[in-house]
Amino acid sequence: MSSLFDDLRHSRRSAILDEWLSALRAGAPQHTDAPASMLARSDTEAQALYDAILDALIEHQPADSRSTAAKDTPVNLTALLRQWSAEPARQGLSPAQPISGLLALKRILLRELIASPDSSRDTELPWLEQLFDSLALLTFETFGETRERMIAAQSLSLMELSTPVLRLWHRILLLPLVGVIDTQRARQITERLLEAIVQHEARVSILDLTGVPIIDTSVAQHLMKTIDATRLLGTRTVMTGISPEGAQTLTKLGIRFGDVISRATLRAGIAEALLMVDRRIAPVEARRATGGA
Amino acid sequence: MTSTPFGQRVEIGDAADIVTARRAARELCERLGFGKADQTRLATAVSELARNVIQYAGTGHCLIEDGSDALNRRIQVVVEDQGPGIANLEQALTYGYSTSGGLGAGLPGTRRLVDDFQIESAPGLTRISIALNKPF
Ligand SMILES: Nc1ncnc2c1ncn2[C@@H]1O[C@H](COP(=O)(O)OP(=O)(O)OP(=O)(O)O)[C@@H](O)[C@H]1O
Ligand SMILES: [Mg+2]
Repeated sequence: MSSLFDDLRHSRRSAILDEWLSALRAGAPQHTDAPASMLARSDTEAQALYDAILDALIEHQPADSRSTAAKDTPVNLTALLRQWSAEPARQGLSPAQPISGLLALKRILLRELIASPDSSRDTELPWLEQLFDSLALLTFETFGETRERMIAAQSLSLMELSTPVLRLWHRILLLPLVGVIDTQRARQITERLLEAIVQHEARVSILDLTGVPIIDTSVAQHLMKTIDATRLLGTRTVMTGISPEGAQTLTKLGIRFGDVISRATLRAGIAEALLMVDRRIAPVEARRATGGA
Repeated sequence: MTSTPFGQRVEIGDAADIVTARRAARELCERLGFGKADQTRLATAVSELARNVIQYAGTGHCLIEDGSDALNRRIQVVVEDQGPGIANLEQALTYGYSTSGGLGAGLPGTRRLVDDFQIESAPGLTRISIALNKPF
């Protein structure tokens, strides 16, 4: 068994570790506003990672290191490395950051190995290469996954933001649609609207299309499905905000929204919806006249 | 999106490209002096054709060009793909015919929306050319 990796893990640990830590600090992005706690944390993180890597080098070396059947990376090392790569991904740093840190350690260990008088170099050199190769791969993978998850989460919350269902009045909901309506978005709109209908026992929902740039056959079909679903819950739909050009185009396309009530402006649509729940907007004067009687 | 001497070429590969293509069509339309109604009908037509490319062929491209001459402003759009082709053109141009559970209004609707409409389709090449004209 190697005495070199043992030395690096125990008797010479602090010297080698210090060297790596200063290499890390030199390569770290210069955030003048980086809190000291963050730097301290990454030092302890680096220490834990150093120990885990050397433990793996000592304990997990395959009997025949040239065998292609690499052993699995030990669980705790995997976890530490995932954390090591996910953090810079979350901070929006480049993937070069965790990778170059890892490679800095590899260079130091390689130098020690080459300088050592040990005769077991033939097996240790390929093993060191092999382990660091898989660690580098894992780092890239984790970095990419973290970024992807962040982006997915962001676009999900953007999408939710862009489909608010507003309670306009007792039993009247307003759904102002803005932007491109694709299949995924349409499904989400339908879900949210149906939930809100049930929750507020709505009788009328107003779909305002003022912010929808183009109503083509695909968008029209999505809207029809949404409207069909709301009808099953006993709610009527008022569509508003289709532009004159949009209306003309829809007619040419041969699309008809059946018995759905449509009004040019949101204002007219709201008036219509209020009528459906037996309310109306009246001038204050008229109200005083009837209310005072 | 790349510019050519006469217009623009938009690659069509996913839903975001539909938005790019119809925006490019609308912008050129506006630049050539077409009104709002014309801009909307061309953008809608491009939207239909580009969506068909994605839905039935996967990928393709779209050329949006200024074809004006001394008498007319003209904007022409060619949408092309190397997909399986349309088996029965007559059916595909019939309102309500769809192999995907759609409304089947895309092609017949587009034909009615634009001033010129030409379609050729065979396995490996589907090309639809449309245009709007407006006298100066
Ligand atoms: N680029 C294409 N390549 C192959 N087949 C096509 C292509 N475009 C259309 N088709 C065929 O022609 C049919 C009719 O197309 P059309 O756009 O009119 O209706 P749709 O896409 O089915 O529904 P929608 O009303 O949503 O557009 C399609 O269902 C499809 O079978
Ligand atoms: Mg279609």
